[in-house]
Amino acid sequence: MNKSLKKKLESDFDSSVEILEKNGWTITANKNQVLDILRFLKGEGFDYLALISCVDWIEKGEFELIYILSSYLADKEKMHLILKTRIPRKKPDFETTIHIFENAEPYERELHELFGVNFNGHPRLEPLFLDRNYKTPPFRKDFDTRKYVEETFGSIKSVEGKK
Amino acid sequence: MTERELEMYFGPQHMGMVGNFGITLTVKGDRILKAKANPGYLHRGFEKLMELRTWTQNSPLVCRVNVMEPHSMEMVYSMAVEKLAGIKVPMRAKYIRTLTLELSRLASHLFGCWAYANMLGFDTVAQWAMYHRDLILDLFEDFTGGRVYPIYIWPGGVRRDLPDGFKEKALNVLHEIRSKISDYDATFFNNKLFYDRAKGIGKISQEEAKNLGGTGQILRGNGVESDIRKIEPYAAYDKIDFEIPTREGGDAYSRVWIIRDEMIQSVHIAMKCLEQMPEGSVYNKVPNPFKWKIPKGETYVRVESSRGELGLYMVSNGGDKPYRVHFRTPSYPHGLTILEKILVGENIADVGNIMISLYVTPPEIDR
Amino acid sequence: MDRNQITKWIKNPKKMGSKYSLWAIYFCTGCGIIEIPPILTSRWDAERFGIKPAPSPRQANLFLITGYVTLKTLKAVVRTYEQMPDPKYTVGFGSCPINGGMYWDSYNTIKKLDKYIPIDGWIAGCMPRPESIFIAVTHLWTMIDKGIADGYEKYKEKYFYYRKNQEKALGELDWPPLHPMKKKEEGQ
Repeated sequence: MNKSLKKKLESDFDSSVEILEKNGWTITANKNQVLDILRFLKGEGFDYLALISCVDWIEKGEFELIYILSSYLADKEKMHLILKTRIPRKKPDFETTIHIFENAEPYERELHELFGVNFNGHPRLEPLFLDRNYKTPPFRKDFDTRKYVEETFGSIKSVEGKK
Repeated sequence: MTERELEMYFGPQHMGMVGNFGITLTVKGDRILKAKANPGYLHRGFEKLMELRTWTQNSPLVCRVNVMEPHSMEMVYSMAVEKLAGIKVPMRAKYIRTLTLELSRLASHLFGCWAYANMLGFDTVAQWAMYHRDLILDLFEDFTGGRVYPIYIWPGGVRRDLPDGFKEKALNVLHEIRSKISDYDATFFNNKLFYDRAKGIGKISQEEAKNLGGTGQILRGNGVESDIRKIEPYAAYDKIDFEIPTREGGDAYSRVWIIRDEMIQSVHIAMKCLEQMPEGSVYNKVPNPFKWKIPKGETYVRVESSRGELGLYMVSNGGDKPYRVHFRTPSYPHGLTILEKILVGENIADVGNIMISLYVTPPEIDR
Repeated sequence: MDRNQITKWIKNPKKMGSKYSLWAIYFCTGCGIIEIPPILTSRWDAERFGIKPAPSPRQANLFLITGYVTLKTLKAVVRTYEQMPDPKYTVGFGSCPINGGMYWDSYNTIKKLDKYIPIDGWIAGCMPRPESIFIAVTHLWTMIDKGIADGYEKYKEKYFYYRKNQEKALGELDWPPLHPMKKKEEGQ
């Protein structure tokens, strides 16, 4: 059963499947096929979206979007699939997956705020955690948090000595 | 007389809020029309801070993500590092890890009982629950070294062996808690007032829960028998026999009843661990922490915390620090999407009741 | 009660009354909140010291800031502090308000709470034990006796500098200044 799923993923879609361990697969896909693969996997029974994440590969100039899927069904709940795709770092645009998985909404909001990835079609891309605007989104690799702390908080003087 | 819509802030400083979390409610009279969760009061940028510290330096930091149950965070971090680096854990360490995790689950459920009983006004039960939780924290101080932040489970095993005389003390505490569950039942769980105030409140159907990514008590309160300790066993859970309690209904009443059933199962598992514990060493040495580099790779591990599925996605670039770390916490879908859906149509006086029965912890949402 | 106490009560009933019944505002600011419910329940019992949780800032006179303070929380903390009536006392619990603690390099937490609101005392530790809160309260009683627990007076006098620091950290503030903003000239 698993072998046929692996063959179908490799032949029908432009993706490569790597088996990391017995129940954990990694699927690397082209960014134009991600939505089709997600719909296909949901039809096969993987109906639980655990996480949407993003990794900043600054040397290659790319963001890597990660979708981690699992299942509520008894014969597939041991497996988890990691679906990866790469988008360019200079112009990080992507499609939203809310109409496939309804609980993708806060994950995409968080990635928009912390990495600057734009999800087209998302109904509510407003700030989730942060209260102010940063010049570089804070989770990117070129945001130096220690220097930011020195400049912003180190420059505020204490009140004790003032008359 | 016309009623109009008002926007009010059920903000962080409120007797009905446990934790630093805000909800913006749009109300008409006493009924809620729309709810908007307002997280971010506890955001520290945890995952960014972990990229600047080495693999060993991250151990004291990682338990502080969720303050109610720090041991599960350490467990999931150690499991991810062990998978990436290929380190094995001795058998005695697996049993001690199971014991620690079950005691931590018991302490977290007793804290939940305090919060929920206080919210409904049952002060006596709240005082009992806090007292029993303090007995467990005394045990933690004995063998891990700290009441709240233990830094005990680390990659390779656990830090030190159990002290002499620990087994008798632990069995005494577990017997005491088990024998008092009948008092809790008589005062709180079998009380008609609890039934009146919680039945039918905060109801969510099984299909909606699965669509919105719910795990833990939200699924088990709808009759789904799903627990990661049985799906993908870790530590010593495949060697101990235990049950998974479920209930029908999907409302606050069934979720809080499952907390009580899980407490009994935790006591049973902890006692079995103490009886069956083998001898041996408690940790396998890891390489020199100043020069420890882990080969390239990525992994996703998961653990059943007291609130649901807790997962960690970790990427290593071959260096001495993690390249990317992302915690998948159970309170994230529960506190953001499910809370906003459930609150529509409820009364303002029931907001605290619903929030605590969903078992949402704000530091897990913000990290 | 011995004879010393009777004269103290007659001389200054307001000070003795506020000393032995500090009502702490119920606001869970950070991770130190895990040690507050054990204090309020029967094992550690803070009510024998006169401490009980108060639901509204208008009824409270002790503010225990338990743990780290982020930028969003700082807004709520300043607003709550300004609504408490005089005399009021603040205690920083944990090592994060002292100098940033474990999150010294985080972009979203403030490093020294003393720059934004006046603090009367600190409790060090990560996580401090419940008994340390009681020791801190007895120290606070001694300070109130001697008259040196005057954080709220300092806030009135130096309000210009406190407000300037708050604006630097939080940006434009959408509530008006509480006290008149007068900057004292040099040498006055």
